[in-house]
Amino acid sequence: MPDVRVLVVDDEPDIRATVSAMLEIEGYEVTEAANGAEALHEIEDRAPDVILLDMRMPVLDGWGFAAELRRRGHRTPIVVMTAARDAAHWASEIAAAAFVAKPFGFDDLIAAVEQVSTQELTKPQVATVDPPSQPGPP
Amino acid sequence: MTALELISLANQVLFVGLFVAVLWHAMRQPTRASVNTLLLFGSIAVVVVLARLATAFSLNETGWYSSTILVALSVAPLAMVRLVDDFSGTPRWVQVVGLVAFGVVAALSIFAFAAVEQIVELAVIAWFLLVGGYAAYAFAREATRTHGITRRRMTAVALGALLFIAAVIIAFVNVLLPTPMLGMIGPLLALGAVIAFFLGFAPPSWIRRAWREPDLRHFLERSIHLSALEDERRALVEVQEAAAAAFGATGARIGIAGTQLGTLRYPSAMGGWVEYRDDEFIAGQAYSRQERIVSLDASRADPEHASVYQSAAANTVIAAPITAEERRIGVLVIFAERAPIFIEDDLWLIELLAGQIAVLLDARTLATLAADIRSREEAARLKEEFLSAAAHDLRTPLTVVLGQAELLERRMARDPNAPVDAAGVTRIAREARRLRDLVSELLDAQRLEQGSAIMDPADSDLGEVIRAVHERFRDHGLDLRMTMPEQPITSRVDRMRLEQVLDNLVENALKYTANGELPELVLEAGGATEARLRVIDHGVGIPEDEHERIFERFYRASNVQSITDTGMGLGLYICRRTVEAHGGRIWVEPTPGGGSTFVVSLPALAAAQPETTTVVPPAVQVPTREAAADA
Repeated sequence: MPDVRVLVVDDEPDIRATVSAMLEIEGYEVTEAANGAEALHEIEDRAPDVILLDMRMPVLDGWGFAAELRRRGHRTPIVVMTAARDAAHWASEIAAAAFVAKPFGFDDLIAAVEQVSTQELTKPQVATVDPPSQPGPP
Repeated sequence: MTALELISLANQVLFVGLFVAVLWHAMRQPTRASVNTLLLFGSIAVVVVLARLATAFSLNETGWYSSTILVALSVAPLAMVRLVDDFSGTPRWVQVVGLVAFGVVAALSIFAFAAVEQIVELAVIAWFLLVGGYAAYAFAREATRTHGITRRRMTAVALGALLFIAAVIIAFVNVLLPTPMLGMIGPLLALGAVIAFFLGFAPPSWIRRAWREPDLRHFLERSIHLSALEDERRALVEVQEAAAAAFGATGARIGIAGTQLGTLRYPSAMGGWVEYRDDEFIAGQAYSRQERIVSLDASRADPEHASVYQSAAANTVIAAPITAEERRIGVLVIFAERAPIFIEDDLWLIELLAGQIAVLLDARTLATLAADIRSREEAARLKEEFLSAAAHDLRTPLTVVLGQAELLERRMARDPNAPVDAAGVTRIAREARRLRDLVSELLDAQRLEQGSAIMDPADSDLGEVIRAVHERFRDHGLDLRMTMPEQPITSRVDRMRLEQVLDNLVENALKYTANGELPELVLEAGGATEARLRVIDHGVGIPEDEHERIFERFYRASNVQSITDTGMGLGLYICRRTVEAHGGRIWVEPTPGGGSTFVVSLPALAAAQPETTTVVPPAVQVPTREAAADA
């Protein structure tokens, strides 16, 4: 999967390192950011093709980042990765293209990123990817 | 017929009517007081009837007629003095003097009237003035001592007596020195007297209702908020006081269903409850038979508990069951030193109050039930939150472990000879350890939740505990400052758990101190039976409005970021539960100059008696119900 750039946004360094290693072994080009603010700084230079986004982060969380991203006119697809039970709900809330629920395995992550990066960007929709998570209350 | 004659006729009809009313009452309740009341109005009725007969048959001029009228009239003050004794008690000599004086007046009226008519009339005036005046004064004094409806009725009786005596005296004076003015005033005073007597001795029901209203309202005002009062004992004590005040009684007690079947429990004046069989005492009798009991001599009615009634000066006991529909809720008892003057009003009031108390207790039961359901819902919600938060916190390290392990797997599959991914292996190990810590933290919290917080208590020198903690950190190159008291302080603690608490506090202090300044450990005595352990840091501090909440489950101070805090927010919660299980308290206060000071206060064994090894911390003491003799 050459030439697909993925931005990994998570405040846990170990999660970033793990996700990056998974993506790199599959041939993706990866950059990292520790929170929403850093991520916004990253996309200023060069917009990635896919953004892997944790929701609960210090400084600027996933919701704030997604809102600012859209406000700036970027249509980069987002894959939400969260340990919360209402991952599906949050994903639809920020109009994410897909989500992966922590703890996700290698195949879950790659499948989600692959699906999103090959999708037509003009048809944003939430793709559900295993393991399925129960939507929580609003 | 002139207006004056009309008034006189009205007086006569009213007095005879009153006589019939008290006769009816005395026949139904032949007490000493009702018989003396009958005597009072009987004498007046005889005078009235005789006067009518005399006018009809022209007996006015006969000596026999005048003597009879005088004797009959003179009975009235005697009856009043006897009523004073019934209502408030008089010295015995007053009754004797009254009886002797009546004998003299009667003898004079019968034997000397024809000879010295005016002297006899003066004697009757003196008799009325002295004895009747005394009675009127005594009624008024009794009125000020009583409460509620009794007070109003007593006031009316006193006023009636005063007006009656004035009317009789003026009538005599009018005979001796006839003046038109006195002839006018006499019948008017008599009219006032009979109306006042009616109000006092036979008040119509609408007057009673109006008189009761303020007492009832006062009772309701005092007791209405009690349905919300949390402490049931406290609420009952308040209702008891309000009920006793409404009666002007010495005291009141309320018994409700006890903890054992077939018992009633009563709030004790000294705190706690006292429990008796549900047919014990007059109260228990009223409860078990579900009927009102009036006992004017409690010691005789219930000889088994005579000493209890006597010590409480409870000669009169009125007990009424508290019942809602068919449900037995409890019993209300009112004590008084003396029999109530107008007992029918008190009976009515006690039943009304018992009904009101039933409503109050029912409201309390409902409120307790609602609170119970709320707390169960809250517990369920907390459990849900606990699971959800626990799952969230476990998922992050699991993601790393799973992801890194699968990466290793894949790398191996692609190239079995590739060098080991050292960083990945380290991550797996680190996150697995983190998982282990989280799981044990969770289990600790869960164990505390189930109450088994203290496990292995022993008398320990707290200085030793501090030194052990100090040593552990020194092994990691952290030489904490330590301040010890001059005298060793001993406390009964589970050493391992207490050291965990201190470890946790020191770790927190280190975590939230960015400049590397080391926390300080202080042990000091907080009085003879209290030890204080302080962990003082100079770190970021904790906002004051969060000082309480940081000890709650899953709560993290708002000014620290999760970058540094990898725990589940259970550490301080575990600390608090552990300290509380030791009968102690933990709190946080700001360190002067910045930072936080965590204080652990523990019950200490008194230094003077180091051999008292059996002292149990208050938290694990079994509350004992005191068994003070009490009705």
